Amino acid sequence: MPKEKLVIVGAGMASGRLLEHLFEAEPDRFEVTVFNAEPRGCYNRIMLSPVLSGEKSWSEIVTHDDAWYAAKGVTCRFGEKVVAIDRARKTVSGERGEVPYDRLVIATGSSPFIIPVPGRDLPGVVSYRDLDDTNAMIEACKPGARAVVIGGGLLGLEAAAGLRLRGMEVTVLHLSGHLMERQIDASAGYLLKQDLERRGIDVRLKASTAEILGEGRVEGVRLIDDTEIPADLVVMAVGIRPSTALAAAATLEVGRGILVDAQMRSATDPEVFALGECVEFEGAVFGLVAPLYDQAKVLAKTLLGEDDTFVLRELSTKLKVTGCDLFSAGDFAEGEGREDVVFRDPARGVYKRLVIEGDRLIGAVMYGDTADGGWFHGLIKDRADVSEMRETLIFGPAFQGGEPLDPTAAVAALQPEAEICGCNGVCKGSIVEAIGAGATDLGAVRAKTKASASCGTCTGLVEQILAVTMGGDYAAPKAQPVCGCTDITHEDLRRLIKAQELKSQPAVWQELGWRTPNGCHVCRPAVNYYLLADWPLDYTDDPQSRFVNERNHANIQKDGSYSVMPRMWGGITTPDELRAIADAADRYGVPTVKVTGGQRIDLLGVKKEDLPAIWGDLNAAGMVSGHGYTKGLRTVKTCVGTDWCRFGTQDSTGLGIRLEKMLWGSWTPHKVKLGVSGCPRNCAEATCKDVGIICVDSGFEIGVSGAAGMDVKEVERLAKVATEDEVVEWVVAFVQLYREHAKYLDRPYKWTAKVGMDWVRETLADAATRADLNHRFAISQSVYQRDPWAERTEEQQKRRYLPLADLTLEAAE
Amino acid sequence: MAGVIAQTDPTFVEVAEVWVPEEGRLVLAGGSYGALDAFAETSRGTSFGRGEGLPGKAWAEARPVVLKGFDGSYFRRTEAAKAAGLTSAVAVPVFAGSAFKAVLVVLCGDGPERIGAIEVWEERDGVLHLDDGYYGAARHFEWVSQHTQFPKGQGLVGGVWAARTPILMRDLGSGYRFVRAESAGKAGLTTGLGLPVPAPGGKTYVLTLLSALGTPIARRFEIWDARAARVGAAREAILIDGICAREGALWDDEDERRTTAWKGVVGRVLGSGVPAVETNEQAAHGYSSVVALPIHQGGELSHVVAWYC
Amino acid sequence: MTRDMGWIDIGALDDVPLRGARLVKSRAGCIAVFRTGENEVFATSNTCLHRGGPLSEGIVHDRKVTCPLHNHVYSLETGEVQGADSGRIATYPIRIENGRLLLEAAAIAKADAA
Repeated sequence: MPKEKLVIVGAGMASGRLLEHLFEAEPDRFEVTVFNAEPRGCYNRIMLSPVLSGEKSWSEIVTHDDAWYAAKGVTCRFGEKVVAIDRARKTVSGERGEVPYDRLVIATGSSPFIIPVPGRDLPGVVSYRDLDDTNAMIEACKPGARAVVIGGGLLGLEAAAGLRLRGMEVTVLHLSGHLMERQIDASAGYLLKQDLERRGIDVRLKASTAEILGEGRVEGVRLIDDTEIPADLVVMAVGIRPSTALAAAATLEVGRGILVDAQMRSATDPEVFALGECVEFEGAVFGLVAPLYDQAKVLAKTLLGEDDTFVLRELSTKLKVTGCDLFSAGDFAEGEGREDVVFRDPARGVYKRLVIEGDRLIGAVMYGDTADGGWFHGLIKDRADVSEMRETLIFGPAFQGGEPLDPTAAVAALQPEAEICGCNGVCKGSIVEAIGAGATDLGAVRAKTKASASCGTCTGLVEQILAVTMGGDYAAPKAQPVCGCTDITHEDLRRLIKAQELKSQPAVWQELGWRTPNGCHVCRPAVNYYLLADWPLDYTDDPQSRFVNERNHANIQKDGSYSVMPRMWGGITTPDELRAIADAADRYGVPTVKVTGGQRIDLLGVKKEDLPAIWGDLNAAGMVSGHGYTKGLRTVKTCVGTDWCRFGTQDSTGLGIRLEKMLWGSWTPHKVKLGVSGCPRNCAEATCKDVGIICVDSGFEIGVSGAAGMDVKEVERLAKVATEDEVVEWVVAFVQLYREHAKYLDRPYKWTAKVGMDWVRETLADAATRADLNHRFAISQSVYQRDPWAERTEEQQKRRYLPLADLTLEAAE
Repeated sequence: MAGVIAQTDPTFVEVAEVWVPEEGRLVLAGGSYGALDAFAETSRGTSFGRGEGLPGKAWAEARPVVLKGFDGSYFRRTEAAKAAGLTSAVAVPVFAGSAFKAVLVVLCGDGPERIGAIEVWEERDGVLHLDDGYYGAARHFEWVSQHTQFPKGQGLVGGVWAARTPILMRDLGSGYRFVRAESAGKAGLTTGLGLPVPAPGGKTYVLTLLSALGTPIARRFEIWDARAARVGAAREAILIDGICAREGALWDDEDERRTTAWKGVVGRVLGSGVPAVETNEQAAHGYSSVVALPIHQGGELSHVVAWYC
Repeated sequence: MTRDMGWIDIGALDDVPLRGARLVKSRAGCIAVFRTGENEVFATSNTCLHRGGPLSEGIVHDRKVTCPLHNHVYSLETGEVQGADSGRIATYPIRIENGRLLLEAAAIAKADAA
């Protein structure tokens, strides 16, 4: 009986595995011809990354060499592209001639997706798919050379790590907010980014490539924000898509990939089969190797006339970067009725999250400890009932009694050089040393190191260090935590953000051992504030962690409408401004116009969708947002001072305007209101403000921490100064000190009561400290002193204020 | 796998020995001395106090020590070493956190044909500098290394340091752009094993063994991952990388090889946390000796590296 | 807006901010469309049972939303009020397909009739 003629187009991993199965079952049944566009046979493509890094040699990853194909009698047409398939005549035409088939397997794999930006064809721009790409990258690795990798997915990160190990300067550009967002969540993405940065790889998130630059060869990459990054090599690793051109030309039915049934038979022709990354099965396409091997096994059976069925299985992902322990499996991104179990160990850099639906584990993400990855993957694949072990599931199969989450883990994880007491510059190491030397309670530590001896906000941390260092011998008093997501207090949270230089929300959640995946409505606004206050240049404000008023830049009213209040510097306005306000009130049907206690005009009852338009109108008349809705500077109330008043001693109006122009736009732990009165008669009610200035003949009295809300309290005297410049310097220093130290939602009077007015006075008495505080305030203002109205009248922003869709119109058809 | 690691006769390292503390002194726990019986005899009769001789110095200073030239040095076995033709030595202390476990000492001879490198790299100001190294006749490569620095993540040295794991690199000089590739290639260096040597107080050194075709440091290398974060609570280890002149690649990404504590030489190191040197051919996979060295990080045994020749 | 087999395309996933929400007006009333930190989407009634606060303006955390007016917390999956309070808001089937958000037409129509 003549052998059956089997032609395979493609010699990738699936093709290699298919041949192994066929020859193992019936070595003499088929006369096989294999075409491959690459001038070589099958190799372990997923091990190209270690070849790139130098951790494997090419010879180690060849799975089928020429001798293997020869021994099996396979006709190899490597380095030869297939030009056409003639299904009527059952022939395949290669560049060097035609070959007939009885049955045909198309295994053309996938091709890299190239983002359509100018410069993508320049020499020096490579994709990352095969050995030739790998060698091209290795060739480019000259010491000091720079590489930009576009795409922070599996392939892109492996390329980046390999190039770095080869000695290149590497930047990764990733469009999304965290790395590998399809496989892992934000917390795991944070740890991964940190790991890569430790290797000297520059990772830029939310980075969108506009253009690849270069004259005749690549010289750099320009982002849409106009950042330019020099590059000698650009690697495109944004994704792959099935290579279907040949199949489509042969009029086989093609969706995203070549459509096949569960026996890998093409939807169109019973003698034509497809295999690997080029196929589409039940809407799915494939990029990982496990399902390709399953397909190869099924197709071998089909070709041998046996029954087998390909089924979709939950996949797991690992990253081949030496030293990065990452594992993800199953589905943690979509669906309903789910429960999360989160475990974090900041000291070891471990994050684990399980997603449970009903009685089943359906997803797992782990970073830093992947020992149980295989076991979790098994539970997911088998759809095992986990209800019996739900409570302890996250500790894995070896669980014995389990370790409870340690509330002091974050403190235990601190480096010895982490600064605990900011006032006196005391680091953890010194405190631990003092404890070792016999200081076994708070008082003794204070006496020995001065830690927590000034403002006292680090007291909780010092106590935790006592607890961690002394073990069971010390019982720290229980303090009120921020919320149910953590055991840490606000004060400790603030100190730890500074001491550990935590600059993103995922960093806080991970390093401080949050129990929830991404916080709650209580902690998120606080964390967002602390981060933007401490790291104005590094952290990007997250509107989704703000209460509605600050997100929409207007006060929500009880009926869901909003109020709009333009800024009137020091309470001074003009006829033109009043006219514009009146016009706007008419145009948008504003039901109530109110003069406020802070000397402003408030328009109440504006519909959300009208906000950008009314702001645009007021902007056009020269007015900016009055920030009447923020935890930030609200108003500076003034009296008319020496300009008009016969009692006035100084230009209180001018000083008020100057202060307001200095402070507006800044975010603070709670709202901040100022008053400037021109004489002790105090018409501006400055003595019950957060900051109140009373002008006197000999200068200015600065009082702080007054209150006139639920509590009523007179200001306490901070300082008396001679000049307006000094007033501004002191007030800014006070506000910045408050911004840096106070608990979120504590007004200044509550904060100073906690840290002591003496400490505030002492701290601000030092001219150098005041100068530093002023400097840091200026840096923050360079980022945050922006009119939100102007930004939100742009088209892009405007849409956010409209409903996503209006189905009432549709339904009315 | 011919071409990556060859099977030839001369080796770069002549002697490997393990010294362990016993009642405050270092005594010999095991060694591979080849035909150097007299030196072996002398060593068995010697012990070192803390700070005494090369092993005692590595213990006292809690850092790897390279010694080139024994005359007039603190080296205690100079006469015997000279008689055996040994000229240089490297001592690597093993600490588990602050607990001292052992010192591994390797000794090398001189000769124009001996090419290879055993190096110790140290971090200063965020960059790795060569502390010292023994290069045999690879003089140019020695010079290049003395004038090279590795930022974190770059090259074998920077890679080991940043990834906190041993790394085995192939084809150091053959057409690939290893940071020191050109000179490494000229020197005939092919395979490089780099491993972290953690010292008490959080400092980490990087030790490299760079092996040449003609006078290999080893003909088989293995890296075992023993971290609980990888293998679970059981005292086991996974072979994550390895290469052998006879068996080729030892890694298998689909079917991981595991070993358990006290099983074989690697298992013994896994169980005891102390390095081992074995000259039993069966234990050494048919080679004449095996050296297995544990790495302790963060209070646990994290890896075992083994080399055979 | 296109209709397709009983699912209504209401816009792109990217139009809803991560851990945020958008409003959809329908004849059944206002519907809040949420996107969680994990890129899941949910649709519920926009109206808090307490004082009618707009839930699409609340803070989205995990698979929950907190009403911006008085901090009542709802499960986005079940619509149940969390904590000491009780009650339930309507939820609507919604799914993501090729980056588009599809809301089930029948569910809205049913609510419409009710």
